[in-house]
Amino acid sequence: MNSGHILLAATIGIVSAGCSNLDRSRDLADPNVPAKALAQQVCSNCHGMDGNSISPAFPRLAGQQATYITSQLTNFRSHQRSDPAGSFYMWGLSRHLTDEQIAGLAEYYSKQTPLRSDAAEDPKLVAMGKAIYENGVPEQNVIACAACHGPKAQGTGTFPALSYQHANYVVKQLNVFQNTQGRPGTPMESVTHPLTGDDKEAVAAYLQALPD
Amino acid sequence: MTVPFASSTDFCAKLLFRLAALAVVFIMLAPSAAHSLPLFARQTGQNCLACHAGGQFPELTPYGRMFKMTGYTIGERTVPLSAMVLGSYSKVADTSKSDDPSADFSKNGSLIFATASVFLGGKITDNIGAFAQVTYDPYSVQNSDGSYAGHTNADNIDIRYADRFIDGKNDFIFGVSANNNPSVTDPWNTAAAWMQYVPVPSPSSSQFIDGNTPYPTFASGGNIAGLTAYGFWNQMIYGEIGAYGTSTGLFRFMSAGLDSSSSCTSNCVTQLKGLNPYARLAISREWGASNLMVGAAGMVSQVYDFDPSETTHYRDLLVDAQYQYLLDPHTVTAQMAYGWHRVSYPASVADQPAVDASGNPVANTSSSDTSNVFRAKVTYVYQAKYGGSVNFFNQTSSTNTYYLNSARVNGNVTGNLGQRGATLEAFWTPIQYVRLGVQYTAYNRYNGASTNYDGAGRNASDNNSLFLYIWGAY
Repeated sequence: MNSGHILLAATIGIVSAGCSNLDRSRDLADPNVPAKALAQQVCSNCHGMDGNSISPAFPRLAGQQATYITSQLTNFRSHQRSDPAGSFYMWGLSRHLTDEQIAGLAEYYSKQTPLRSDAAEDPKLVAMGKAIYENGVPEQNVIACAACHGPKAQGTGTFPALSYQHANYVVKQLNVFQNTQGRPGTPMESVTHPLTGDDKEAVAAYLQALPD
Repeated sequence: MTVPFASSTDFCAKLLFRLAALAVVFIMLAPSAAHSLPLFARQTGQNCLACHAGGQFPELTPYGRMFKMTGYTIGERTVPLSAMVLGSYSKVADTSKSDDPSADFSKNGSLIFATASVFLGGKITDNIGAFAQVTYDPYSVQNSDGSYAGHTNADNIDIRYADRFIDGKNDFIFGVSANNNPSVTDPWNTAAAWMQYVPVPSPSSSQFIDGNTPYPTFASGGNIAGLTAYGFWNQMIYGEIGAYGTSTGLFRFMSAGLDSSSSCTSNCVTQLKGLNPYARLAISREWGASNLMVGAAGMVSQVYDFDPSETTHYRDLLVDAQYQYLLDPHTVTAQMAYGWHRVSYPASVADQPAVDASGNPVANTSSSDTSNVFRAKVTYVYQAKYGGSVNFFNQTSSTNTYYLNSARVNGNVTGNLGQRGATLEAFWTPIQYVRLGVQYTAYNRYNGASTNYDGAGRNASDNNSLFLYIWGAY
């Protein structure tokens, strides 16, 4: 390295340090970066600028219950939530978030407006899902989802909002609850136990479409 | 498609067993934690498949593209080092139609340590990040006694500054990059620097494997010095513009390890005359689990060996498209790239007398040539572990007596550079930083002919090649 390189590196370092802007930072280990900056600069890459993710690989967060988002980010950070899709992406991103940043992220996404996706829907499946969501399947001892998640799937407190959530994501999470220990500490393991594959597909289709 | 290795089934079985054994050792030695990863993964703490489609490095997911465009700055500073190593085995279908098979197909049928790289990079500041690769080639130079000498030099380098202006309605990423290879900055993997990605071993037994078949590329190659500026607006329109020159002075590190002297005979620095412009435009859209990019890129370059008045003038125009479907457990990628290439020769090459294989005079050499390269590839990966691809290539070119060559194997009796063929590949990623792959490349046209392309009885299909590799990165 000659003196020119040293000069160049020093110049870049000084200029960059001087130009560093916390409001546009992507540093996940800096407790001073505002939650809104993290949401826009990092989280938006998968969850969308307004929390309405495009890809069903990533859950929609717009309008989600703040308490629920806080609990999930905390569970990712502590590795208590270990379902593969979540841990692959979220363990690392959440590992150094502060409680304040988590609370800020929860507030940011809870205030976004959930939008209905334009994914194709199967009316028959949606109707079947609506019946399960609202009434459960008494003969299989499946309780009504609406009992905890609300009549419009808007959620409450630690019970997540499910309205307009990607069907593929809902099915996969129901499978996590039903078949793994990846998300412990919720009633969902026993709630999902009697669900059939068709039940899960139907409920998920209903939640994604959520017709008026 | 003819599979020419039936007679060596036992040998291949043994080889596969040895490769598998090597893989098992590799896996056992590697840490088992899912987040013990190369430098970018350490930086974000994420699994490789967050950024790499189906885990198949280096193809990027939409998130991986954003990570790159925002200057490798997401996450936190970490140990900025990674390493990559490739072991391989190449076998050419017919080695008999050669005057000297040991030279024409060196290391044919041998398992070799092919190449290794060290990467230095990652997040430097909130706005500056880097990707810098240094590569060791154990077969870089072949000595007169047939032995090899290894060589280490700078490989791909991309040091960038990026900022992102985003609010509820608009999203604009802006960046500048100092880099040494046109399109190495590109976020899509149909770009010239990225579409062919498996490292290519240097011994001549690998001269017909897929990595050496025609891909739409920029004639200048790498290890030059460039500055580009790019923008990505609303995750929809990407534009990049810049210029490249010889890597001298402050930018000499872009070609570190290469020889810039006028007596250079191997591993030489590419000499460019003046500033050589590069431009890229792409349109991207994402819906559901799918995303699509359609784009174009171009570059004009003036390359010379040691005399700037003897410059070869290249014009390259590339059109590319990439479709991805990414939803666990499926990863589907369809890629297409087409390149139009025009080369104008310097006075010492243009309009020169030429002879055919029998020594009879033929038309003088041309002052310019045009070639067209088409490439299409479809890949499927299941559970980010088991993958396969089909890959078709077709190169057509103008005919020029300059390319007449009576040598066996690499000879050319047509004066045409046309090539056509296909590659089938299957690969397995047992853990996220190791991939085992097998490729079979079949030709039905080589150097402008299907049969007897070298004038000594060698057919295009004689070049069909089997290539096995074990590729690790940590």
